[in-house]
Amino acid sequence: MAEGLARALDEMARRDVDVLVLGREANARFVSEATRLWLAGARPFAPGCVVVRETGAVHLLSVTDFGVPPDIPPERLYPMSWNPAAMMGEVAAIPGVANASRIAVDGLTPLFEQLIAATLPHAELADGEVVMRAARAVKSATEIAHIRAAIAVAQEAMGAAVEALRPGVRERDLKGVFEERMCALGTTTPAFEGAFCVVDVDAPIRRLVSDRAATDGDLVAMSAGVLFEGWEASLGRTWPCGRPTADHQRRSRWDDQWAQVADRCRAGAPVGDVRAGAPGVAVHGVGQGYEGLADDMVLAPDMVVLLELEAAGILGADMMLIGETGPQVLTTYPYPSAA
Amino acid sequence: MSGDLDLARMRRERHGKVANALEAQGFAAAVLLGQQNIAYALGARAPAADAARAAHRRMVAIVTADGAPAQLYTSFPDGVPAELGAEHVHPALPVEWPEGARQLLDVLPAGPVALDEYTMPLHAALDGREIADATPILSTCKIVKTSDELECIRRAQFINERAMLDIDGRVVPGVRGTELSGVFLRRIFELGATANTVDPIWQVMPSRIDDGPYSVTGDVVFPTPTTRRPFDAGDVIWVDTGIDYEGYASDFGCTFVVGGPEARHHDQAARWREVVDRCLDVLKPGASAGDLVRAASSDGSRRPWLPHLYLAHGIGTNSAEMPLVGTDLGADFDDALVLAPGMVLVFEPVVWDDGHSGFRAEEIVAVTDDGYERLSARDGGPRG
Repeated sequence: MAEGLARALDEMARRDVDVLVLGREANARFVSEATRLWLAGARPFAPGCVVVRETGAVHLLSVTDFGVPPDIPPERLYPMSWNPAAMMGEVAAIPGVANASRIAVDGLTPLFEQLIAATLPHAELADGEVVMRAARAVKSATEIAHIRAAIAVAQEAMGAAVEALRPGVRERDLKGVFEERMCALGTTTPAFEGAFCVVDVDAPIRRLVSDRAATDGDLVAMSAGVLFEGWEASLGRTWPCGRPTADHQRRSRWDDQWAQVADRCRAGAPVGDVRAGAPGVAVHGVGQGYEGLADDMVLAPDMVVLLELEAAGILGADMMLIGETGPQVLTTYPYPSAA
Repeated sequence: MSGDLDLARMRRERHGKVANALEAQGFAAAVLLGQQNIAYALGARAPAADAARAAHRRMVAIVTADGAPAQLYTSFPDGVPAELGAEHVHPALPVEWPEGARQLLDVLPAGPVALDEYTMPLHAALDGREIADATPILSTCKIVKTSDELECIRRAQFINERAMLDIDGRVVPGVRGTELSGVFLRRIFELGATANTVDPIWQVMPSRIDDGPYSVTGDVVFPTPTTRRPFDAGDVIWVDTGIDYEGYASDFGCTFVVGGPEARHHDQAARWREVVDRCLDVLKPGASAGDLVRAASSDGSRRPWLPHLYLAHGIGTNSAEMPLVGTDLGADFDDALVLAPGMVLVFEPVVWDDGHSGFRAEEIVAVTDDGYERLSARDGGPRG
């Protein structure tokens, strides 16, 4: 049985969930290890994957077994339909669903809420994202190895963008360079479309690239990531274009704040304490894509987080593996040396 | 890309449509969590991202029936349209968590509310409140495009087609789909794409359906994700790509034959052309989706499209939206769907000769007052 599925089934048992109906692709991939077509952005909830605790079986919305591991046989695949009621019928026909008393879903639309109530009137609805979050948060050695492989790709793609940075290059060109290298390294799916944005003094750093060209002396904030075999690696750096200037001295203030915040990423620390470490801090879990962390969640050994700090006109972000004694920085791509 | 485009006018007209639709159906407001719906109703943008990140960093918008400017909750100030005043722009609402869901409850207008999707904490917070589905309301607004929307689709498609010119000549034995994706993605960003919307597809098609991969429907399997497997001479490659320009999707499909097409590939393309041309012959306001289905199928062979997809689909802020033509929603649905000026159709029939693979391409047209106009180039047959 896939490692992720075993952990999801454990969480289902712990939370008395009979059936898990997943619409979020990363959740489906975690339990199935299937690769389906990547689409940018979130889609409204639809039942893309079903896990039945009684049978331990994963059922998948797919017209083919391409990208589907052999432990999910063809009879556990169900086709898509443009008729939501027909899709709900496919789900209800899965062995173990009709008699489930508690069904967890990781999202919902008003339409699917009605359809579930009509098709499975005796089932109580629960929050499936809570189940999946618990199953996914702490990483196994295998998962950390996957993440390290993704980091190698992300760092090399970031390196290509840094190399391409020179006066006259447009922000959108840098995004293109990053994605081209990412693809050359074997993955065509970004974790997100990167920010490669010229920094304006005392203005928030933009996250949407524009036609603007970098000029000599500009700082350019770069934040980007990849999904390699479904596993995310992301990082952020702010790099000078051309000659370093006095303005780049601002970096030293960023360094001081970063050191303080990074030190808070320890096992036992509430996530809210990390976020309170400085203005401009963001922290979230990283695994098969972005994993949400609430303020009251506590960091534990073998969680992987992306820590980001925007301060003093500098954006920097690194992936950290939480350990018993302190964080291990997984992303080793260099920072520019201070001017 | 020289057509007239006024983005502020486009946003104003779309917002007006949504407010009017809410008013007409007796709703006080729509609460929107779907990013394409927010792109439509407000024109606000967030960076394109994988689904999980997009969900956690999502924008939320409240559009009221009185036509007042919408309220937008976002982490991305540089994606906020210029005309939306500071009093209407707020920090993101973390609706993945109970606290954020409660914050949304605090700003929810009184009266009947439509909502497009829930997070589960939001579902819990709204327990006991009567909530209608906003999706049909938005779908009704979106189906007929304004001239600015058509221009956005035209520009998205133009960028997509131009980028594909860089692929011509590279589809040779030994090349990998992943490499082609790299060239394509770099080029679309250089050319001004706002985002990429789908992992570019370069699917090596089998000669026969039974050669695999396994098909749940028994029909041709398409699309499947791109792999690192190098192409061989003679491989038939079905391409499908889509980008975003100012919130509007393109959709480009074509067929390559590695090493160059032969007579049978041209013959398949000619039959594909006949299917599309038969549809275009009947395409005008007042024609139904059923008329298109009958025109496409009139040579008596199998229905020339993939049964789990469609003969044609609309396109706009969603890459596939109404009007949907030839889906499993059935003949009655198709016959009831009457085409009107401003509707957009992406035709994507398939010609398949089991044993000799097949041909697939896509063409986009908009319905006009007396027929149609093209938003894409005319497909030129098999490439390679």
